[in-house]
Amino acid sequence: MSKTTRILTVDDSASMRALLNHALSSRGFDVVQADDGQAALEWLAVNEVDVVITDINMPRLDGFGLIEQLRAGSRHRDRPILVLTTESSDEKKSRARMAGATGWIVKPFDPDKLATAVRRVAH
Amino acid sequence: MTQDEILAIFFAECEESLEAAETGLAACREGTQDADTVNAIFRAVHSIKGGAGAFGFNALQAFTHTFETLLSDVRDGTIPLADDLVALMLRALDVLSDHVVAAREGTPAPADAVLLEELSAAQANGGIAAPAAAPAPAEVAAADEADAAEDEDGGFDIDLDALLDDITAGSEAEAAPGWTLRLRPHAGAMANGGEPLLLLRELLQLGAACGPCDVGAVPPLDEIDPCQGYLGWTFTLPAEVDAAAVREVFDFVGDDCTLSFGEDAPMPPLKLAPRGPAVAAVPAPVAVADVAALAVPDRGAEAQAAPPAPPSAAQSIRIDLTKLDRLIDTVGELVIAQAMLAQRLGNEGMSTTEELVMLEGLTREIQESAMAIRAQPIGSVFSRVPRILRELTASTGKHVRLELSGEATELDKTVIERLGEPLTHLIRNAVDHGIEDAETRLAAGKSAEGTLRLSAEHRSGRILIRIADDGKGIDRARVLEKAIDKGLVAADAQLSREEIDALIFAPGFSTAQTVSNISGRGVGMDVVRQNVKELGGRITIESIEGEGTTFTLTLPLTLAISDGMIVTVGDQMLVVPLTHVVESLRPEPGEVQGLGVSCSMLNVRGKFIPIVPIGNVITAQGAVSQPTEGVLIVVDTESTGQAALLVDNICDQRQFVIKSLDTHYRSVEGVAGATILGDGRVALILDIDGLVARSCQPAPLQREAA
Repeated sequence: MSKTTRILTVDDSASMRALLNHALSSRGFDVVQADDGQAALEWLAVNEVDVVITDINMPRLDGFGLIEQLRAGSRHRDRPILVLTTESSDEKKSRARMAGATGWIVKPFDPDKLATAVRRVAH
Repeated sequence: MTQDEILAIFFAECEESLEAAETGLAACREGTQDADTVNAIFRAVHSIKGGAGAFGFNALQAFTHTFETLLSDVRDGTIPLADDLVALMLRALDVLSDHVVAAREGTPAPADAVLLEELSAAQANGGIAAPAAAPAPAEVAAADEADAAEDEDGGFDIDLDALLDDITAGSEAEAAPGWTLRLRPHAGAMANGGEPLLLLRELLQLGAACGPCDVGAVPPLDEIDPCQGYLGWTFTLPAEVDAAAVREVFDFVGDDCTLSFGEDAPMPPLKLAPRGPAVAAVPAPVAVADVAALAVPDRGAEAQAAPPAPPSAAQSIRIDLTKLDRLIDTVGELVIAQAMLAQRLGNEGMSTTEELVMLEGLTREIQESAMAIRAQPIGSVFSRVPRILRELTASTGKHVRLELSGEATELDKTVIERLGEPLTHLIRNAVDHGIEDAETRLAAGKSAEGTLRLSAEHRSGRILIRIADDGKGIDRARVLEKAIDKGLVAADAQLSREEIDALIFAPGFSTAQTVSNISGRGVGMDVVRQNVKELGGRITIESIEGEGTTFTLTLPLTLAISDGMIVTVGDQMLVVPLTHVVESLRPEPGEVQGLGVSCSMLNVRGKFIPIVPIGNVITAQGAVSQPTEGVLIVVDTESTGQAALLVDNICDQRQFVIKSLDTHYRSVEGVAGATILGDGRVALILDIDGLVARSCQPAPLQREAA
């Protein structure tokens, strides 16, 4: 891929943001970060990314709310969105899929697996 | 960013989360149990768990997991939030806090087995058991439907393989021995940003070779629905790649892409999604292109249209503290430079220049803004108090109600950080020594539950923190008796009530009948006073027997900048911190009384206070020696009461930037620090307490009282 993949990470935890930033930046991704779903939504209204990675439980607007809003609009309907989840049960996975997520990353994540997951969905 | 820096962020965040959870649980206890409050607690614990997992703090993660599971049920409403449950969760929070400390310090994790059991029991008793068992993994390659994908010649005939060169290229080179995978992505695999092409590419990366594409199910052009999956794929995978690795690749799509493993397994059947109106509306020609090329959506135009911009402004940002300190430091230098410029221009008779006035205003504004960045609400310190009280209740059996006010009062971060210890000690002291046990209280006509009031407020550039209990007050007779016992004061000493109260701050003083493990061993109050003094603050006691004791801490808002009086003593310029100054006066001859050879006293409205000739103490050249020739500054001191400092003259009163003498030179007795004056000269800031205590050595009573 000639163009650098740009990723928006959405997480209200500063340490998680730092971890994501570190893991993704050091693997050649371009990383933008938002503190919660609402901030992400506002940013995505005027900006483009290749992949969105979002936490689920956040203040103001949670991850599922964010996905719902993005899928409802036309611009980000087909945007790959990965959710960060602490559980890998199939129930949680199917819930994420039902909510409109493209895939998931199980926390705590392995940086290489994270990068693989991103590449798997980055158009 | 290094791992350590990220860790530091994590621990800072843990503190915030613990505070948020504490606040939330406190609100729950008071009856506020709405979804937002509960969710905030859940999120706080959840956030710690997430980080703990990421950083490999297993004990912390395990504990938060159990805690979170319970909270999750509470949030979902399956467990009612009763009082005892809140109490249990508060205890769990205390242990969680210990876990965080253990993780940070690298010490062994606290014992949590009992509490974990309690949490699990509470969750189990709530009615709903642990999270529902995971459903069986998706059945792969279940050929449960009729073979709908029967080849139908006469369908749309197009050589799709030619369009998929990137998949098939090179695959014919060698047909390495391996195993066969057949798969068919369905409509859902392309929904929600999914892109099967990427998954097929990943298979190639695993070493798979792509066989001919099954286009048998592709309908005639006018019937093609671009959102459906019509194609079936056959891959030959190297023997060393196992089925699990392949399943992993298709993890995200789940049932939306049917896999069938092995040479003998048939191509998975076609599964068409029900047609929706939106689908039908898509023009057919576009559809062909999409299906044929599994095209990467063209988002180039969109991407160019929107210029990149940072994420929308959040309410707060995190700054490395050293950067902030540098800013504050630089602002300090700016203040000095501005003062120097003002003085230089003043000497040239240009002090009223308009630009200079403007510069002065701006400088002050920048300084205030910079200080405000470091300001934090004192609530972060207050929020630790409930836990302290809970522990005290557990160990002493005394129930104490906490009343907080002024939590939003802001003061400098450095002050906040160093306030925790003295405050903790004062609170422990209040509960341990001040508040009586329930029976005694009832007998005295008070409520069984004690009350501790904690308040903070701004007052003329300083902050006042009060710790008030409604306990028995200081038993002055016993304090005095003890002090005499310990040889701290002479047996026949006549002390004022304030002086007796001040005795509890004396080193090595303890009035507790039995030395408790709560308030320490009598070293505490001494340390408290020392801590407060190091913060440039003062501590005073008001106590009414039978009604309670109030400790008042008066603290500066910041440690970096302070108000002071600039005085001359002989050839020296010195700074007297304004916090100590009560008044200044030029004494009439009759107001000064000699006391012995070297000592004289000043009569201030009928009260005699010792005169400290600063010139003698610091051995300045050419200082005035007679009180009537100079100016006396009456100061308040922590340990020695009031004293009058004899100086030559008072030049100015203004803000000054405190520079540590310890870091730039070495610690000097009687000197608290240094500052740079407007003319570039260095002036020493006097340590009033130390100076007065040292020069009043001949006064035995005051020395003893200290």
